[in-house]
Amino acid sequence: MRSEDTTAVITGIGACLPDQILDNDQVIAAGELDTSDEWIRGRTGIARRHRAAPGISTGDLATAAGGAAVRSAGIRPDFVLLATTTPDHPCPATAPAVAHRLGLGGVPAFDLAAVCSGFLYALATATAMVRSGLCAAPLVIGADTYSTIVNPRDRDTAALFGDGAGAVLLRPGSVGTPGAVHATDLGSDGGGHDLITIPSGGSRYPWGGGGSGNGSGGGWSGNEAGPGPGPGTDPASRFFHMQGRAVYRQAVGRMTDSTRRALAGAGWPPETVRAFIGHQANQRILDSVAERLAIPLQHRFGTIRQVGNTAAASIPLVMADHSTQKSLAPGERTVLTAFGGGLTWASVALTWPAAVPRSRPALPQPVPRSFPQPIPPPSTHTTTTT
Amino acid sequence: MDTVREHLKTVLVDKFEVPADKVTLQARLTDLDLDSLAVVELYLTLQEHWNIPLDDGDANNELTVDDVARTVDGLLGADTAGHDAGPGTEQTAGPGAGPGPAHA
Repeated sequence: MRSEDTTAVITGIGACLPDQILDNDQVIAAGELDTSDEWIRGRTGIARRHRAAPGISTGDLATAAGGAAVRSAGIRPDFVLLATTTPDHPCPATAPAVAHRLGLGGVPAFDLAAVCSGFLYALATATAMVRSGLCAAPLVIGADTYSTIVNPRDRDTAALFGDGAGAVLLRPGSVGTPGAVHATDLGSDGGGHDLITIPSGGSRYPWGGGGSGNGSGGGWSGNEAGPGPGPGTDPASRFFHMQGRAVYRQAVGRMTDSTRRALAGAGWPPETVRAFIGHQANQRILDSVAERLAIPLQHRFGTIRQVGNTAAASIPLVMADHSTQKSLAPGERTVLTAFGGGLTWASVALTWPAAVPRSRPALPQPVPRSFPQPIPPPSTHTTTTT
Repeated sequence: MDTVREHLKTVLVDKFEVPADKVTLQARLTDLDLDSLAVVELYLTLQEHWNIPLDDGDANNELTVDDVARTVDGLLGADTAGHDAGPGTEQTAGPGAGPGPAHA
């Protein structure tokens, strides 16, 4: 164990946004959506988003952002944590491949799944790992390619998401160092698991099947009523779904309370915060949380208008953007907060880092991507072994 | 106009920037340019102010200002336990934990 004054300090930062940019009108045209640019902007604050080319994966973006963070820090990572909902494959995890591509040899690496709270879950986990002495230079990456899981014809979600990756590199340091993590707060409520979900494709409802285990469509655990026949044969069940109103309500309450707890843990009154960065889900949610915390407009930072909701990447992308712009002086009190599927929420109180992002490496040449494809008949899955 | 309705009008004018002369008891929320997310925000605001378990599950912007006020009236009259919790107090989630989280 290290001394109590030792914590994790952000010493490198990197970002990767794919080159293609789609504005709202292009998204509307692609999905033949019954909406308008004005409606999307008014409802979400989003004007455009970046889109990974077919064949560019989450791992590609994560490797580019991670590499930029490593160059920014100038030190070699000894651990890789990748927060994502869209790994390159269901198995194995993507983080080991990212570590390999970064030339990190045999360092430990794993994926972390907490949906849009994932980056802050990973940052809090890595901070604890540094404090415990388990590692001394963890690379924390948030990366997602929601373009692979969002139904382009779903008006409720098609315009919300963009692709991207952001990363930070930590090292041990004193709490007085700019970039030091002072307090974290994590939480979950699985009672709301169905508010943000991809219904099929997991062990509960395998693709093409009617339910888990015996195929009865049941298999629900606990004391709750079963959900009825499985959705595994409905093509729409392979896409991301979200219950917008309920999510709005939960997100506002959870992020507000979690932020208060993180600030209390750091001993910082909300009025002393100079940078509030919330998960870039929806501008109205961000405004609602910030108003409840009495964070003035000039201390709220975001990128939602330019990049949309990039899921696990959203907070490090904001940090990278404003580090590049030098919007804040190193050492300014900062609070990060996120809410995501699970339900999960997380907040981190830290001081603004001195790290400056370096340009990201070029993305690899795209290779054809097979998703989305028609769902194969159930019989093709019955002989699969691992 | 009673306290609940006075407060509701103040919220609509100050927070949602509705012109004061448009806020009548008979006005529908959609007439005041509140969309569905704004209705959720309105209910959250009222819940926090009055410390009542105000569920927006059945709320929509076809409701009138008076409809909303009567819902608040009903909860203020019926609620005997919820007033201990202040704004920002964590809502307990899960079955039977009250109508806060909108679990479908």
